[in-house]
Amino acid sequence: MTDAAATGSGATGGRVRYVPGQPDMWAFVLFEALIFSSYFIVYMIRRGSDPDLFLASQERLSPAFGVSNTLVLLLSSWLMARCVQASREKKYDVALGQVILVAICGLLFAGLKLFEWSREMGEGLRFSTNEFFSFYYFLTAIHLLHVLIGFVALGVAVYQLRSPLSRSQEIVETCATYWHMVDFLWVIIFALLYVMR
Amino acid sequence: MSVSLEQGIPFRPSGPFGRIAWHWRHDRKAELWMSWYAMVFFYNLFGVVFVGLTHVMPPPQPYWDDAEVAQWFRHYHSGLLVGFGIIFLISGLVAACNALIAYSMRRMSVSRAFAYSYIAIYSLSATPGMLLTAIVLSVGAMRPERDPRLIHWLYDMAFMCFVGTMGVFLIGTLVWLIAILIDRNKVFPKWFGYLNICNMITEFVVAPAWIFKAGVFSWNGTIAFWIDTAVFVVYTIAFIVLLRKMIEREDFGDGPLPGNGASLFLAPGLQEGSDQ
Repeated sequence: MTDAAATGSGATGGRVRYVPGQPDMWAFVLFEALIFSSYFIVYMIRRGSDPDLFLASQERLSPAFGVSNTLVLLLSSWLMARCVQASREKKYDVALGQVILVAICGLLFAGLKLFEWSREMGEGLRFSTNEFFSFYYFLTAIHLLHVLIGFVALGVAVYQLRSPLSRSQEIVETCATYWHMVDFLWVIIFALLYVMR
Repeated sequence: MSVSLEQGIPFRPSGPFGRIAWHWRHDRKAELWMSWYAMVFFYNLFGVVFVGLTHVMPPPQPYWDDAEVAQWFRHYHSGLLVGFGIIFLISGLVAACNALIAYSMRRMSVSRAFAYSYIAIYSLSATPGMLLTAIVLSVGAMRPERDPRLIHWLYDMAFMCFVGTMGVFLIGTLVWLIAILIDRNKVFPKWFGYLNICNMITEFVVAPAWIFKAGVFSWNGTIAFWIDTAVFVVYTIAFIVLLRKMIEREDFGDGPLPGNGASLFLAPGLQEGSDQ
């Protein structure tokens, strides 16, 4: 929930609390969280049936790539939050700069992920190598797909920030909500695939 | 029968037959309601046939050998022929579904190209996603004495058509998604636009079914089939309910639709027929 200066009825103690962005996007985030949770539960069940294979396969992944990707996305989320704040303060040029940096982080994430995949495939670790790698490529690919959709959201945010006549703070916050969801999902995927022993 | 002086339309009679006749003659939304009921009828019968009669859903095992596949065809011989006979009879109802969804896009503040693209794509997608599956499995069931290797070939083809050709649906879903998100007439709530993203992603999730013959990514696996199907069922129920609400709110104008489209429940004062 976000605090803002009271402008009308419903103000409590001079402040009103509201959900940032469209509530519709929050409904989507919850539904996506539900779908991904079901993937994670299936992963955990399959992992429990053959823990040795999953542990041995996990050791073939590069933690450096996982950590780098996580840091890049966390940085992008922080920049996105700063963008929303700048936009609320009507510092649209600053906000625009932050969105561009978020997009650069997104591109860096995608580039790192593609490079990591090509390296692993070069080592003979394919989608059908074993069950762990099936999950690894599946979860990271579906997540990367969300990152690609996130570039559309960033494009919408750029359009909003550059259009004085049709500018909407709500839409900028909606785009930010989507991007934070992408980050949030990655943190769980990172923990499950790279960290959990 | 008394006559409404304001519109020159007789008041709606209270008896069921009188009401039907009244709607048939005077309800401007009669065609929309017929399309909606055709859609509900189609999806219900589709479920009964594919789950209860033909046992195509949930799909049987992809790793079965020739003998097991031939046994499956023998076991469900009558169900396959009767069930797909029904599908061949009602498959034309997809036109009503596509027309109503295209109508929703025509009611939006977006280009007509969206509605035309949707109709074209979804008319095409019915062929691999439903008809080809029905034809191939009917062919398999028609002569159970056929060479088991040929029967197995038909089995693979049918289930890969049914589960693995989702890409054609992807672009159709994308068209509807964009139309809803850029629409200013509030025909559908934005959350349904975002729900289209979930449905679109299921088309990617099913792709590993082309690689695996067992496990969670196979054509009857937990991820490629069950979770995808759960998302599709939620999506389908949502759009059927929202299309109903759209018809209730329809004022045949070209501006924003009256009433609140965000809730899945009826808005007060917008019950069926209340606009008459």
